[in-house]
Amino acid sequence: MLHYLLTLAIFFAFFAVEAWGLNLQFGLTGILDFTYITFVAIGAYFAGVAAMTPSTNGGMGGSYIFGWQLPFPLSPVIGGIAAAMLGVVVGIIGLRRLRSDYLAIVTVSVGQIVWMVIGNATPLFNGWDGIVGVPQPYNSVMNLSTNNYEWPFLGISVIVAAIIFWLVRSLTESPYGRILRAIREDENVAAALGKNVFRYRMSAFVIGAFIAGISGALQIEYIGAWNPSGWTTLETFIVWAAMLVGGRGNNRGMLLGAFLVPVLFTEATRWITIPAHPLLMEAIRGMAIGLLMVLAVRFRPQGVIPERKRVFPLTTIPGLKEDVANGHTAQG
Amino acid sequence: MTLSLIWMGIGFGLITASVLALGAVGLTLQFGVTNFVNFAYGEFLTIGAYLAFVFNKGLNMNIWLSMLIAGVLTAVVAYLFNVWVIQPFIKRKSQMIILLVVTIGMDLFLMNFVQAIFGPEFKQYQDPAGSILHIGPFLFTLQQIIIILIAAAAMVSLHVLLKYTKLGKAMRALSDNAELALISGIPTMRVTNYAWLLSGFLGGLAGVVLAINVNNFTPALGSEFLFVIFAAVIMGGIGRPYGAMLGALVIGLAMEVSATFMDSAYKTVVAFGILVIMLLFRPQGILPSRGRV
Amino acid sequence: MAIPLRDNMLVVKDLRKSFGGVKAVDGVSFDVPRGTITGLIGPNGAGKSTVVNSLSGFHGVDGGSVMFDGTDITNWPSHKVAQRGLIRTFQLARELRSLTVFENMLLASNDQPGQTSWQALFLRKKIRDSERDLLGKAVDLLKRFNLFHVRDEYAGNLSGGQKKLLDLARALMADPRLMLLDEPMAGVNPTLAGQLQEHIRDLKDEKGITFLLIEHNLRIVESLCNHVVVMAEGTILAEGNMSALRENENVVRAYLGG
Repeated sequence: MLHYLLTLAIFFAFFAVEAWGLNLQFGLTGILDFTYITFVAIGAYFAGVAAMTPSTNGGMGGSYIFGWQLPFPLSPVIGGIAAAMLGVVVGIIGLRRLRSDYLAIVTVSVGQIVWMVIGNATPLFNGWDGIVGVPQPYNSVMNLSTNNYEWPFLGISVIVAAIIFWLVRSLTESPYGRILRAIREDENVAAALGKNVFRYRMSAFVIGAFIAGISGALQIEYIGAWNPSGWTTLETFIVWAAMLVGGRGNNRGMLLGAFLVPVLFTEATRWITIPAHPLLMEAIRGMAIGLLMVLAVRFRPQGVIPERKRVFPLTTIPGLKEDVANGHTAQG
Repeated sequence: MTLSLIWMGIGFGLITASVLALGAVGLTLQFGVTNFVNFAYGEFLTIGAYLAFVFNKGLNMNIWLSMLIAGVLTAVVAYLFNVWVIQPFIKRKSQMIILLVVTIGMDLFLMNFVQAIFGPEFKQYQDPAGSILHIGPFLFTLQQIIIILIAAAAMVSLHVLLKYTKLGKAMRALSDNAELALISGIPTMRVTNYAWLLSGFLGGLAGVVLAINVNNFTPALGSEFLFVIFAAVIMGGIGRPYGAMLGALVIGLAMEVSATFMDSAYKTVVAFGILVIMLLFRPQGILPSRGRV
Repeated sequence: MAIPLRDNMLVVKDLRKSFGGVKAVDGVSFDVPRGTITGLIGPNGAGKSTVVNSLSGFHGVDGGSVMFDGTDITNWPSHKVAQRGLIRTFQLARELRSLTVFENMLLASNDQPGQTSWQALFLRKKIRDSERDLLGKAVDLLKRFNLFHVRDEYAGNLSGGQKKLLDLARALMADPRLMLLDEPMAGVNPTLAGQLQEHIRDLKDEKGITFLLIEHNLRIVESLCNHVVVMAEGTILAEGNMSALRENENVVRAYLGG
């Protein structure tokens, strides 16, 4: 039981990080990334091969690139950077047009192409079989069994999640975040007030992709393996549903969304099986996630925890005495 | 040897182009009228393919008759999709990004709905491919020739519709300038409904001929083909039916001819490459611009 | 025909722009003298909006040049034009709905730290200090436009008139040298229109801001503008002060008479 709860807690951290990245892209900036999981996967693959021993090419581990044996904090950074670089490429193709459908189209297409290429081009990440045997951070030193390793890994996950939370929070609660929200509302107004809309969209998209990559990196270093069947369209929309339910634009809401959708919903439905049709439950879960997205924006568009209203206390404004302020309030 | 391979590629290209033309025109017509991309469109193809499967395999009907019925039923699905799912958001004046989220959510829902009913296994129609015919340098099965003829007939009918009927003119007016169309008394709502019907019908047909062409199919049929349709639509200029036809021809030929030179698993990469080049250098499409920003 | 002017804030020369073969603007030249409220009038479809969008960088031009306070800004992107001090407004009020009134104001300032992601992460003290100063500036402007009492309200919840005023106040936060107002009085009740005119006149006098005002209502143009440019069918029909224009036969036929 404890083992199970620990695993859930670790996965909760993965999903929270994923939701923060997507929230930066869509919740704050209004960018439609319909293949978010691809960035997670790229982060996972690159972090994995950066941490692994060199490929023996055709041996037991299959064939893959890199094999740099980088230690823990470095390998996820490689994963994050790789995902960010894919973000730059996608952004250059899709973000220069003001219409938001173009990027959405590009993401849908890129998702399929990357999936297909990684599956078919075996020398990259061992194709459809995927890579296995990614070392767990520091476990070569600690030498713990899988069960005992969960405590230290939970610690690592919490630290990484805390850093990412600090990152997204600082960005959100700054003039930068304000500009992103302005672009989400009306890009023309933002441009007319001197904001370089393309640059801001690009940076929010790329930082979001980086965060996705970090989450993927954490996942592969915990699971130890990764292959194309692990990242499908459904995975992307589980994160979307989490973000929409939690409250787009609100970083605390992402914690709630990550708990409600990927952890609670997925885990709860995991135990339901329909004996005659083993794959039916999978389809029903997909239907539910799709429906959840539509119903969320229909009936609770701001999510469970809506975006916070920023109020500026007048006492912080120099030269403005409270009584003067009150006088004007009464007058208005 | 190489030359005959290329001819073979061109032959396959014409078939793929036919499938693609049906699909691309259906998507672009609806976009032109409503001004947003329907990311659930791939499921119209899937639904069409599976409905035809029911009539063909379940009720032992001829495949072409099944296709026609499936097309009509998919049109109804598309109509209801607009009325039940899309319109509530239009009425609330939701931002476009929200509409797009709704369509992609519905894409996931519909795909898994089909999978829940039919399962994830491969399905196949019962229909003989027919004898092989030599037409000029090409080798076609009878089935393939019918596919090409269906697409050609659909395109000609569409041309007549757009050019000579009141509905077609209203659609073009709405697509050129929605505000102006509204002021000049065009019944926007009715035209929009017809656009969805037509989009569903063409999408349904495209799904069936795609399923025939790839021989066996799963519920992922439509969503996997969607981005190839996007490539054709963007190439022709989004919202422009004639452009979509041209885009379908170019993409179809490029994919199949390239497949004669390299691993055919990568032929979708060719479509993707064209999509990228178009978006980078000529996002308004290959046809000359008609004056809208 | 134009009165010789020594100092121009904006010099537009031979501007051309066509859309798909239709010439929306066909060789337009005019000046906006510094410190004036210059009017740009003309019937619907005269190309006024195209001029506004060309000047503010919302689309490129096919030919001609735009000099803004001595700098050639032809074909500059909109954000660069705005950063230079040429701020435009839109016909309909374009409030950023989910930002509060204060946030709408703070957004408009372009010289504050924390506008890039790196600064947002590492200059938090500096951001707080500059935000305090900007809030002070915003308070002054909000009081001026009688919006102070709704400072913490979401802009989407304001009344139509308040949104119009916020548009103007927000633009001022960007320290404009030239303001391009695209039919600010359109669809506005007479009382508010009067207030807006008052504000525009005061801003010109107090802050020395130059205005280019696109307007339909000729009475407003006559009372506000010392210099008026008349457009019709993509070209300039006449230029001068309003009383002179009333004498001009071409103008009367194309616009005033009808």
